Amino acid sequence: MRIDWAARLPGRRGADEAPADTDELPRQRRGTTPQMLGRYPEFDVLENASHWDATTRKAVLDRVENVPPIRFFSAREAATAGALCDILTAQDREPRIPVVNYVDEKLHDASLDGYQYYDMPDDRDAWRLVIRGLDEQAAARGGVETFAAASGELQHEIVSDFAQAKLHGGVWNGLNVKHAFSLIMRGVVQSYYGHPWAWNEIGWGGPAYPRGYSRFGSPHLQAAEREPWEGQEAYDRDVVRDELEEPPS
Amino acid sequence: MIGSLLKGSLRMPRDNDSPYLLDQHKRGLQNLDRMRRYSRSETVELVVVGAGAGGLTLAQRLARAGWKIVVLEKGPFWDPDRDWVSDEKGSSKIYWTDRRIISGNDPVEMGKNNSGVGVGGSMTHFAGYTPRFHPSDFEVRTRDGVGVDWPISYWDLKPSFERCERELPVAGQDWPWGDPHTYPHAPHPVSAAASVAWRGARDCGIEMRVGPVAIANGQFGNRPHCIYRGFCLQGCKVNAKASPLITHLPDGIEHGVEVRADSMAVRVEIDESSGRCTGVTYMTGGEERFQPADAVAVCGYAIESPRLLLHSTSRRFPNGLGNAEDQVGRYVMVQGATQIAARFPEDLRMYKAPPPEISSEQFYETDESRGFARGFSLQTVAPLPIGWAEHVMAEGHWGAKLREYMRDYNHWTVLAVLCELLPQPENRVTLSSYKDDNGMPVANFSHSKCDNDRKNVEYAAGVMQEIWDHAGAQDTLRIDRDAHLVGGCRMGFAPEDSVVDATHRVWGVPNLFVCDGSVFPTEGAANPALVIHALADRLAGLLKDKRI
Repeated sequence: MRIDWAARLPGRRGADEAPADTDELPRQRRGTTPQMLGRYPEFDVLENASHWDATTRKAVLDRVENVPPIRFFSAREAATAGALCDILTAQDREPRIPVVNYVDEKLHDASLDGYQYYDMPDDRDAWRLVIRGLDEQAAARGGVETFAAASGELQHEIVSDFAQAKLHGGVWNGLNVKHAFSLIMRGVVQSYYGHPWAWNEIGWGGPAYPRGYSRFGSPHLQAAEREPWEGQEAYDRDVVRDELEEPPS
Repeated sequence: MIGSLLKGSLRMPRDNDSPYLLDQHKRGLQNLDRMRRYSRSETVELVVVGAGAGGLTLAQRLARAGWKIVVLEKGPFWDPDRDWVSDEKGSSKIYWTDRRIISGNDPVEMGKNNSGVGVGGSMTHFAGYTPRFHPSDFEVRTRDGVGVDWPISYWDLKPSFERCERELPVAGQDWPWGDPHTYPHAPHPVSAAASVAWRGARDCGIEMRVGPVAIANGQFGNRPHCIYRGFCLQGCKVNAKASPLITHLPDGIEHGVEVRADSMAVRVEIDESSGRCTGVTYMTGGEERFQPADAVAVCGYAIESPRLLLHSTSRRFPNGLGNAEDQVGRYVMVQGATQIAARFPEDLRMYKAPPPEISSEQFYETDESRGFARGFSLQTVAPLPIGWAEHVMAEGHWGAKLREYMRDYNHWTVLAVLCELLPQPENRVTLSSYKDDNGMPVANFSHSKCDNDRKNVEYAAGVMQEIWDHAGAQDTLRIDRDAHLVGGCRMGFAPEDSVVDATHRVWGVPNLFVCDGSVFPTEGAANPALVIHALADRLAGLLKDKRI
């Protein structure tokens, strides 16, 4: 059965419906992806590492092989921040990209984004305040000591309110909640989508330097031709059982 | 006439040997060991603050005329082989990421969005679009009754546009809009992702053309051809895309320019009796130093140039330099840069080919039937995964929905607009109560859109949506954002309405100049890079001919 990925997108299926596609994804066979979810079962961007320049290769491989230790957050903060990062990236099982470690590294190195909203504290203080606010929410709603100790369901509910700027009182009064959520999300997506496992998940070709690309389609082609080393997208539930179909033309 | 038919290496620039001074197989500058070092007891003829498009172009030109020049740059001296990575996350060091406060009703996000640091300035990570301004851009008050007229015209800058296009070099199709012109390099190939936008535009009667981009298409001295890896915004490790680090500085060094990297200017010093500036005080390695000079050119862009002038207070100039009429820091502009991404059944892989591909200036000029003054340009862009995630999260998606959209990355392609927003006095840079490591107050940039701005952005978003509908998009995602920074030390007719005169001279300080994007009185709907180069080229011509 051919799968119409477009019809399953959140924008097409109605915003309130639960995620639809994970059960239908092909079995990931080659590269590691977070939770082994992805649409490019035979693709592993890391197999191309020998084609990258040494400076880039070191930076990218370090993310996989040398996960930075927690230095900015306290152990308690790191637990809550870790649970928050997992909810925001829907990482509910291994293998996981250790998003919180990269967020911690960014804050520890003070490698910030270059701007601070007038109604927000310094980014490092804002992260700490958000963590405290989430712990308070978990205590008030679930009677647990920290956000990390709350059930997945409760965590999801609290983060939903955070995303919609519906948290008030306590530390939230010292923040612009909308700006705080966008700050957290920026840190999270930089860490998650900066990691090569996420590139395997989405089928992105990676650094490609100094090799570059030679096949990127033309006005006369309906679609980009793949480089021989790029992954082919699967349109079927099980690549082992079924033959792969060509992308639609 | 013949000249307009010649493309590529047949039209090499005159009076700038930079492309030959690079190495085909190494990206860093090859003549640094020959860079002149001036003593701090020697009064040089010019100190330039900021090694970007304005500062380095000015320095290269004047060094060729025999001037002794020191350029102070806050950031490092980049060697792309050693310092840059072909990686989105790892590229944050080429953005200005020191603290800036943003405020107003529509605060503008800074950092990677619009601010560079290090030798080469923001152009090290600009997308590559280098359109000219239209003749109308210089007289919007006269023509359209909004904004303000420039004290110079398009025709004053036209020879500079042509010279700079040859030096970068600019590749693109013949250009039908504004003052029609041709480009020195042929257009780059169009990717599958951009061709989908082209298809939709054609279908609803909108003309788009390839380019113009400052990316060599073919041999250009020792600069290699683009390899289409899609990392223009992360710094070009190929040396195919232009930045003044490779287009102007190599030649400048041959003619005696010294660049002092890691040197943050903190004050332009003044002789209280004459009112002339005497040089620049700067911080390097935690130490304060002073470089005396006959003249100073501030080229720090729309945030840092006003910040430096405001911070350079004295008994004679208690409100800072050029600020007797409270003009410094005002009229800072960004362009409304909403993007709409669209989903197609085909495998598009927008990350291949240069992120800037095709553009249109069909909506550039005022059309009264649209209900607002001035207009916008349309351009294709191609975010890499982190940029794409920012698109998805802009519509409020996180968790599983974020990842679903992200897994669909290869089916998406993105159109962007640059809407001309109008200059407003309260959109301004002031000094905040926060201080940087040198004890210098950081900038607070307040920005709010006016009614005309909002109408322009909404109309432009409607045009993008129409193109995608005609192209057969299955889904779209919108992100509202801003791009570029100009104004803050605007050029004008009198000290009551501006900071510098038509020759870039700061009102009230005869040997102090501002030469960067901050002098723009209005912003047009074109990317500012080429215009900044051209202004510096013109100013250098005036200075070396001793016309000012």
